[in-house]
Amino acid sequence: VKNRLWLALRLLDLPLRSFPIHPVEQAVCVLENQKVIAANTISVKAGVRLGMDATTAHLLSGCITYQRDCKQEQEYLNQLADHLYRYTPYIQVYRSQRVSDSGFLLEISRCLKLFGGTLSLCEKIFSAVEDTPYSHGLAHTQEGAWLLSYDRYSISGTEDTSVFIERLNRIPIDRFFDWPDAVLAMQRTGFVSLADITQHIQSQSISSIKKRFGQNFARYLTNIFGIEQDFQQAALFDKPIEIYQPKTFFFETLQFDYPVMQIDQLHAPVEQMLQTLSEHLQKRKLACQRIEWQFFDIHQNSHCIRVHCAQAQNEWRLLYDLTLIQLASKQLPFAVDAMELICRDLQKRQDKNHSLNFYGEVSNNRSNDGLALIEGKLKARLGEHAIFKIRYQDSHVPEKSSPQVSVFTSSEQQLPPCHQTAPRPTWLFENAVPIKFQKQSLFWRGKLELLTDPERIENQWWDTPIMRDYYIARREDDLRLWVYQDLLSGGWFVQGVFSG
Amino acid sequence: MKSDKRNSTNPPSLEQLLQRGDIWRGQSKHVAPHTALETGHEDLNDGLLQRGWPLASLVEICQTGALNGPGYPGGHTSAVSQGEWLLLAPALRQLADGYTVLLNPPALPFAAGLIQMGIDLDRLLVVTTETKTDFLASFTELVRTDICVALLAWQPRPGLNYTELRKCQLACSNGKGVYFLFRPISVRQQSSPAAVRLRTQLHPTSMEIHIFKQKGSLNRADEKSIYLPLPEHWQPIAPHANLDRSIEKTAATILPLKRSQS
Repeated sequence: VKNRLWLALRLLDLPLRSFPIHPVEQAVCVLENQKVIAANTISVKAGVRLGMDATTAHLLSGCITYQRDCKQEQEYLNQLADHLYRYTPYIQVYRSQRVSDSGFLLEISRCLKLFGGTLSLCEKIFSAVEDTPYSHGLAHTQEGAWLLSYDRYSISGTEDTSVFIERLNRIPIDRFFDWPDAVLAMQRTGFVSLADITQHIQSQSISSIKKRFGQNFARYLTNIFGIEQDFQQAALFDKPIEIYQPKTFFFETLQFDYPVMQIDQLHAPVEQMLQTLSEHLQKRKLACQRIEWQFFDIHQNSHCIRVHCAQAQNEWRLLYDLTLIQLASKQLPFAVDAMELICRDLQKRQDKNHSLNFYGEVSNNRSNDGLALIEGKLKARLGEHAIFKIRYQDSHVPEKSSPQVSVFTSSEQQLPPCHQTAPRPTWLFENAVPIKFQKQSLFWRGKLELLTDPERIENQWWDTPIMRDYYIARREDDLRLWVYQDLLSGGWFVQGVFSG
Repeated sequence: MKSDKRNSTNPPSLEQLLQRGDIWRGQSKHVAPHTALETGHEDLNDGLLQRGWPLASLVEICQTGALNGPGYPGGHTSAVSQGEWLLLAPALRQLADGYTVLLNPPALPFAAGLIQMGIDLDRLLVVTTETKTDFLASFTELVRTDICVALLAWQPRPGLNYTELRKCQLACSNGKGVYFLFRPISVRQQSSPAAVRLRTQLHPTSMEIHIFKQKGSLNRADEKSIYLPLPEHWQPIAPHANLDRSIEKTAATILPLKRSQS
């Protein structure tokens, strides 16, 4: 904790950033629960204040009002975080639970050398966010840095922990916006600033605060100063700081010299762009499962094609084949002037499982890749359920013992002893076909003769009872069929064919 | 550069040509090595020129045993079945790598029956198509992929014409596996570019296989058929009288109990 240095960036008008830009002279306010939580300069000049109700704000300034859009705010924060990732990998987004304050907490102690000291690094960070009004705070703890962002201390680069503690001591306790109940209780007891709390802790220890105001609030206070709650035994390790993971994204665009009319002419650019994607993925050990093609004509009309694979790919071949299948089946509505390849949600390639090859056997990874390729192609052409495997499922009811599964699922192949010797057909009809019963004989595309004694299958007494007597029957053309008599209805059915 | 050019214009020598497996050499039964998969039936191996199912060729099997009837769900295929697993399972069991693909099977493969036959379900894929165009596209796609080492395809409805069969045969010649196409017996008289054409017919105790076309051999109409015995459990069980008699026989062999000494 001693060596850490946190820079807080509190964004002042984030709620306003989520909405379209208006002319400078237009008053704009953002509302939450019918109260103003953000207002632009014109509105403020007209007398609008934060916390004011919507009607008053409108009467004062004639402003355009918007309801707060937290999703857009988060999107904006994500974009800015990606921007700040150039300076430090330790980025945390801070969003207050009670007020509309949001911003970033950046741990910069490990990047100082690279960027030439605190002052130089902070200047670089400030220039990166100069488009957005902000206020900053610097401290040895993240909570402390956030609280100090409400004061305007300039950064000299020589600050140390004692300076930060001294600055923190001056903070009034009503700045703990996320702890309204505790703040109220403390104010009643006579606490005004953080210095009062420090003094109390030094004279009596933190445990009295913990008892009166709760453990969570006590932990918050100790976090502000970066002191240990348990003075008897200091924590062995500091809590590690999470490393920011920027969202990975691939985008490639291509402009044609002249509008392309024929799909054949798109093959080469599609291949070229997918090869670029493949190179990008392989360099970063990433894989993608879906890509998106956007085609544009000269009038900016667009047409989108989405290509999905069953498994994440980092090779271009399958994506290329699937794209061509889609292009062949769907005609483009216009002559293409430009095209874009967009790939979101890139996954880590390492997540893919490979079985260890101890005995130097031929790896089946290649065949798995080949399977993914053919599966993807056939599914794109024939539909989702056109290619499958079957597996054995322990059930006495034949139609339930052979379910269809995905081609990537491994098939259960262990028959229970009772089914190992019982004659079973190789083909099964999904729905048993009724057999005609005439003049004491059975007919299904020919006269049937029963060859064996019945094998009774009784099951599902708890649900829809099944009671059947199964026989092997020989048709006139010597084809062997698996037929049964439903003992509940008395009807006869053919359910399978013996062919081996 | 010059020498390369000269080489490329040189016609191939007769020896070079004869080394190719696909040159017809009249009545000579020369075949290129490693171009067949043993059928697992000795008599059938004897009947086939390469002593096995030819690789990278279309094998057409004409069958009776129609399954299409009113109410049959797979109405888009010419669903025929006539002991195909009995005929092909021994060969398919030899394939150590790759997948066996069933294209448009006449019904759903039944896991328990196939496990009993020794078919590896983990390497068995099923592909179903609705139209003839999809069938042809899937057939050629599957044959071209390395992972498909055996393809069992049932022709769609309406049936394939000569041009479409030729497409299938051409695709097969680029592959490396064994490729079977099941068709109804009614197409037997029609021309087909398949490398091997045979007819199967079930009898009460055997399955008859008649090879009526084989690339590289002039099959005569009077050529003998091959008969494969049917599995025992396909036979009718012995009448009750016989069962009684067999019990009597075993009863006679039972030794009388020893009397106790006391």
